[in-house]
Amino acid sequence: MNATASEPAPPTGSDPRPASNVKRTLLILAAVWIGGMVALFLIFGSGGRNNTYQPQNEFKLDNWVHLGVFSINKAVLYLFLAAIATCVSMIYIARRMQARPNKVQTAVEALYQLMRDNIAGGNLDERMAKRWFPFIGTLFLFIMFSNLVGYIPLPTNTEHKIDVLGLHIPSFSLYAATANLSIPLVLALMVFVSYTFEGIRAKGPIGYLKGLVPGGVTGGMAVFIFFLEVLSNIMRLMSLSIRLFANILAGHLIILFMAGALAVILGLSALAWFTIPFGIALFAFEVGLVAALQAFIFATLTAIYLGGAVAEDH
Amino acid sequence: MHIAFITFLAAVTEETAKAGKSIGLGVGGGLGAVGAGVGIGIIFGKAIEAITRQPEMRDEITQLQWLGFALTEACFFYGLVAGLLAAFIV
Repeated sequence: MNATASEPAPPTGSDPRPASNVKRTLLILAAVWIGGMVALFLIFGSGGRNNTYQPQNEFKLDNWVHLGVFSINKAVLYLFLAAIATCVSMIYIARRMQARPNKVQTAVEALYQLMRDNIAGGNLDERMAKRWFPFIGTLFLFIMFSNLVGYIPLPTNTEHKIDVLGLHIPSFSLYAATANLSIPLVLALMVFVSYTFEGIRAKGPIGYLKGLVPGGVTGGMAVFIFFLEVLSNIMRLMSLSIRLFANILAGHLIILFMAGALAVILGLSALAWFTIPFGIALFAFEVGLVAALQAFIFATLTAIYLGGAVAEDH
Repeated sequence: MHIAFITFLAAVTEETAKAGKSIGLGVGGGLGAVGAGVGIGIIFGKAIEAITRQPEMRDEITQLQWLGFALTEACFFYGLVAGLLAAFIV
């Protein structure tokens, strides 16, 4: 009898202790979260609606250096930052290539392989892939760096200043060159020009226009489809640019609201405590997935359009 | 009498314009999210189905899945941008 009583319980699955520990930690965290919110609400209450803070001013572009059309503002600064980051990091790594790669080199090599084999090689034939891989790879890296630089808080918000030891420095804000419609639009225009150019070179101007209509369609239907195809070529410009711009802008907006803008507008300090975990989670999502994914999509679609422009039949 | 009525009408129109802007933002964001949500669900469901049928094609399917995900997700942002335009700019 005694022997059976002192026997340890049969092992059912995993050890129950760690599970309960995790559960307890989660419960404590949830209690701190909810309790903190209630406490903050009781202490500070509602300050009433704040009408002076305009969230759209976070994306306003003030000219810092006045040079007419070439004025330098926040977007230009971020454009330069992204370009410098791309060039410096890639040239530095390429110069220091070693036979036994370290972690950074392995990551860059994986990126290079993705660009060469999947993005360019997977959608273009061998000759085209060789010719256009530098363009597609540069687009991919530049967009990715531009998106990632945007998630580093930099003192660029000249709308609001903070006082540090008598120095008025601009408050820290998130902004990306790609969160402004102009820059994705210019990139999309470059893509449009290059695939049209490549198509005309491969088939001649008449042949390229004829190639827009699929083979076997004749008469009035061919005219209709021709206009539809021309329209869809113009829509490609819009969809390429708006996809990139809106993804990054929406990411910045939702991080802004979750990280406190909502609380500032509504005058509820307790709300900021409530939304900040969502803000951190969304920040991780944007940095980890969206920044690289949008660059990947842009480069892949560029390769698909280039391949489609030179393909023999539609 | 007339002037009072006109001021009343002006106030009503202003309020209505505000309400219209809010509705624009809500419809642009909300209905856009519905469509994109259905689309993303279909994409991931089909990708899981395809991978369970042919696990050896996992890498290719994953790449296509992310392509489809990003293209569908972008449709939500088209709606959202239209809503933001309606609310803040127009």
